[in-house]
Amino acid sequence: MLALVLAAWTLLSRRYGAYVLPAPWSVVTGFGEIVRSGEIWGHSAASLSRIAIGFGSAVVASLLMGLGAFVSRTARGVVDDLLAILNSTSVFVWIVISLIWFGLSNWAPIFTTFMITLPVVASNLVEGVASVDRRLLEMGEVYRLSPREQFTAIVIPSTLPYLVAGMKVGFGLALKVSVVAEIFGVTSGIGYVMNYSREILATRMVFVWALVMILIMFATDKVLFDPLNRRLSRWR
Amino acid sequence: MAVKLEVQAVGKDFLIPVIDSVSFQVEAGEFVCLLGPNGCGKTTLLRILGGLEPPSRGQVRLDGRPVQAERRHERHVGVVFQEDRLLPWLSLRDNVALVLKPLGLERGARETRAAGYLALAGLQGFEGYYPGRVSGGMRQRAAIARALAIEPDVLLMDEPFGALDAQNRRIMQQEVRRIWAETGRTILFVTHSIEEAAAIGTTLIMLSARPSRVRAVIRNDGSQERGKLIDDLTTMVMEEVERQQGAEGRR
Repeated sequence: MLALVLAAWTLLSRRYGAYVLPAPWSVVTGFGEIVRSGEIWGHSAASLSRIAIGFGSAVVASLLMGLGAFVSRTARGVVDDLLAILNSTSVFVWIVISLIWFGLSNWAPIFTTFMITLPVVASNLVEGVASVDRRLLEMGEVYRLSPREQFTAIVIPSTLPYLVAGMKVGFGLALKVSVVAEIFGVTSGIGYVMNYSREILATRMVFVWALVMILIMFATDKVLFDPLNRRLSRWR
Repeated sequence: MAVKLEVQAVGKDFLIPVIDSVSFQVEAGEFVCLLGPNGCGKTTLLRILGGLEPPSRGQVRLDGRPVQAERRHERHVGVVFQEDRLLPWLSLRDNVALVLKPLGLERGARETRAAGYLALAGLQGFEGYYPGRVSGGMRQRAAIARALAIEPDVLLMDEPFGALDAQNRRIMQQEVRRIWAETGRTILFVTHSIEEAAAIGTTLIMLSARPSRVRAVIRNDGSQERGKLIDDLTTMVMEEVERQQGAEGRR
């Protein structure tokens, strides 16, 4: 299968030229070049640090929203409405708004990432909170568990899988969105360097950086989310 | 014998009156079965006794002190629900040990006591298993172990074997009877099965149809023949069901 794709890719590359579609092997050597020059680390780190701030704040905000939704029915309604609005807002809206608000700075991709990942992580978490089995909480009441014990023994374990699922999707989204936002106004990051490569007609490097993105996504899934999920579902 | 639980003219309304007025006494060490036609408020009554719900009228006294829903720290009641209500992410041992935390026991003491009561419920060797890995009957055993582990004043059981198959049900009935004999706890057991009640209870309380009252209190000390007892109780339930249907027909 993979061989077939690579063969077709190579053929199409021959047919249309390296400017339109660089050959697979040249993408691999290009990847080798940015690893050797160390360029890969600088731009990846720039993107990842923006994601860490934007996505990290989105997770924190989601936790607060989830807690609010758990404690009060009114807060739950407000959070649900807010998330519905955020969910239906396009990436481009946030990019434009953040450019107006923050100008050409680091804060534009960070803010965009935050606004786009917040509804994804938060709606998962709120759903998790809503799915906490009331009968288990009643059991906690019967056995006189303190509110804190009920929270740590019942609420957190039943909500955690939803949080992790939301974070997994959210992180993938964060990577995609922050890269788009980096096209505007910043001078580092994967999005910036991809757009720059396009401008200097280095299509090969556009593909190389796309490969870097895929590898980052793959690595976080394998290193972070999959083991976390395995650990959480030990009892299943 | 000392009176453990006093139910004094307890009533409950949910839009319509469900429990009219129910009074009875339970002595320490008794095994009481609450019987009655479907929908007569057996579960509601049990929830009132456990302080999970306030009564609309009357009061419940446990060891002479009133049971109140808002004063849960004074309550010392074990409840076995229709479902096991174990936490699926904790092992059987941790499930039992969890409810010992509010008693102020040290971690080591909690685990020792949890293991002891799991063994009493016939789960020795399964302490480390997650609830999802054992059978429904074993989960219900663990729920019983949990309820016993807090060494409650009263153990309330709400149709705990309703979800089990006939064979497991019979085994569990014998097990509960054995555990009762070994621990001497006061048990209040709600069931809609007359055979079950006759097999395990020392006192059978039959409630009438909704709005319910106590229809009969029967000592099941072996002086009455089992078959006749079951027949009498069945007749009573049939009468109550007919009465309820008649009442609903008129409405």
